[in-house]
Amino acid sequence: MDPLYIKLAIGGLALLGSIGLFFGIGLALAAHKFAVEVNPKVEEVKELLAGAQ
Amino acid sequence: MRRKGMALTAALLLAALVLGGCERGPRFVKRADFEEANRIVLTFAGPVDASWAADKAHFTVNEKPDPDILLDIESVRLEADGTRLTITMADPLNQEQPHQVVVKDIVANGKPLGSTAVIAARSYFGHLFAIFLGALIIQNFVFSKYLGLCVFFGTSQKKSTAVGMGITFTFVIVFASLMSWFLYQFVLKPYRLDYLQIIVFIGLVSLTVQAVDTILRKINPALFKAFGVYLVLVIANCIVIAVPLILADNEYNMFESLMLALGAGLGFLLALFLMSSVRERLEFANVPVSYRGLPIAFIVAGLFALSFMGFSGMSIF
Repeated sequence: MDPLYIKLAIGGLALLGSIGLFFGIGLALAAHKFAVEVNPKVEEVKELLAGAQ
Repeated sequence: MRRKGMALTAALLLAALVLGGCERGPRFVKRADFEEANRIVLTFAGPVDASWAADKAHFTVNEKPDPDILLDIESVRLEADGTRLTITMADPLNQEQPHQVVVKDIVANGKPLGSTAVIAARSYFGHLFAIFLGALIIQNFVFSKYLGLCVFFGTSQKKSTAVGMGITFTFVIVFASLMSWFLYQFVLKPYRLDYLQIIVFIGLVSLTVQAVDTILRKINPALFKAFGVYLVLVIANCIVIAVPLILADNEYNMFESLMLALGAGLGFLLALFLMSSVRERLEFANVPVSYRGLPIAFIVAGLFALSFMGFSGMSIF
């Protein structure tokens, strides 16, 4: 294999990985900042209902 | 105090420099415009001599990027008032490109005024507007490219949901396309990774949808409730991935990208609105049993596509 191709592939992997990491962290931060507290009782009540529909 | 004075002096100097740099000498040829397919019209500040204008050797026309290739001029005609001059070319011009017109040895009122060069180019706003209208109507993504049909049929039963979906979609597509334009121009292209564009764009679209979902849930719960399930459905729409790919293919700049994305989004909104208006009425129509529901919707969409074909081949500006 041509070492140029390997270099290109590794570069691509690194770049895409870093893009993914960057946006992933961004999303996680956004989710943390804009978190909406959900009343846990909503889930509990839903569990207790019959749930046929 | 002294510092302030120095800063003021510096600012004044800078302003003088900038103003001086911007100032241009008076130009005798005021403007050059395209007219029809093979004409360029020059407008002069004052009347020029008819005997000078009669010789077409005084004019050369070339595309701005290649000054060596002079285009053939068929005839030159001066209007009676002497300020408007029409150059007719032998072949149609490629008006996407700016053209340079060199005007040699101008003579006005018997006085020689020297040579000058002017650029004839299409108006940039006209170009942007043409992209917008093209994506909105002429090349409507739903009716002439048949993209995004799944979401189109899924959400066009009621007018209110159709409009909600259209607005959400416009929102998301503008954000996603601008981001993918940025990423394509400044990351993928410089690193020669443009063969990975589809994967990156898919990621960006889902990222945008997720981000809008998260932020909207907190900031405007009412709007979030109104959007409901459609926000997530946008991910499954192929217009939202087609637009970044078209942008990357055509090497659009930021404003062109914005216009294309806006046109695509509003075009989808228009298609959804038209379709839902018809489908609300179809509920009361006497449709044969085997055609009820989706089949008749497909037929209606086909009729819409036929009528949108009336716009095809139209060109503006």
